Amino acid sequence: MPENTLTVTTGRLSGSAASRRLRAEGHIPGVLYGHGMTPVPLSVERRELRLALAGPAGFNTLLNLAVDGKTFPAIIKDFQRHPIRRNVAHIDFQQVSLTESITISVPVRLEGEAKAVLAVDGLVDAAMDSIEVVTTPNNMPNEIVIDISDLQPGDVIRLSDITLPAGVTAVADPDTTIVSAIHGSTEADGQTEAEAEAADAAEAADAAGDTPAE
Amino acid sequence: MLMPRRVKHRKQHRGRTGGLTRGTGDLAFGEYGIQALEPGWLTARQIEAARIAMTRAIKRGGKVWINVFPDKPVTKKPAETRMGSGKGNPEFWVAVVKPGRVLFELSFPNEEVAREALAKAVQKLPIKARVITKAEGV
Repeated sequence: MPENTLTVTTGRLSGSAASRRLRAEGHIPGVLYGHGMTPVPLSVERRELRLALAGPAGFNTLLNLAVDGKTFPAIIKDFQRHPIRRNVAHIDFQQVSLTESITISVPVRLEGEAKAVLAVDGLVDAAMDSIEVVTTPNNMPNEIVIDISDLQPGDVIRLSDITLPAGVTAVADPDTTIVSAIHGSTEADGQTEAEAEAADAAEAADAAGDTPAE
Repeated sequence: MLMPRRVKHRKQHRGRTGGLTRGTGDLAFGEYGIQALEPGWLTARQIEAARIAMTRAIKRGGKVWINVFPDKPVTKKPAETRMGSGKGNPEFWVAVVKPGRVLFELSFPNEEVAREALAKAVQKLPIKARVITKAEGV
């Protein structure tokens, strides 16, 4: 499990205006809590955070938070993004014990190309892009890789079909669908371009007579 | 076209569209999506036109999600009518959109084709919008 040290600053002012000023200066407001400690409001430099999370584990990196001379092992529990700028607007760190189990969300990566599915214009539909698992911080997997090269149309990969790394247990029902191979669902199926246009025109004509229901 | 089956009140006030979207600014289903960058009303026809443009562009083998629903009736008075005599008749339906709202989502194996399809759909919309993907940094 990769570890990175991240220096944070405590003593930030709370409130939206103060947080806005922090963000303008290149800092991200956040909070550190967990494991019986009193929550500590803090801020972290955006560039420092980006570097700390640049490894293969991404947002699941185990961080050593340097807070006022003390070091806390912590994970990123939650973060908020600005809806338009898409950058991180607030971040929650959770202090963890390296020996105690925690619940985290691990991203799923599909490996290979499902040629049998693509040959019939099907789609490999990932029903879940991350899986909740219980593990110790030292055993946190970076990602869960699922090989889809042998997938046939109609096949379903369930949670019970996935081999998780040692020391990692999934939280969800074993029957939960993770990936399914489906046939294409676009409305152009079985229609030529002209037929599709005719159907659209007919639908538009019908719609013209639509009156709002009461 | 999308429209409610039944509504409690036939006519609504126009309302205000201030602020940013809340809770609907992330991709929930697909790998790619269209995100609104300004507020506005999307009519049922515009939503349908965007959907058709997208599905035509990807041809087959994709999955499309429409995250907005036109549930607001818009009224109009007939042409050459004197003012007064009450509110006009309901004419069409719109979805109220605030900046940041993810309007459509798409799952498709080829990123280039998916982006092209979404770009074609954006052209059918009356507001500024952009294509977004799941992979995002700090």
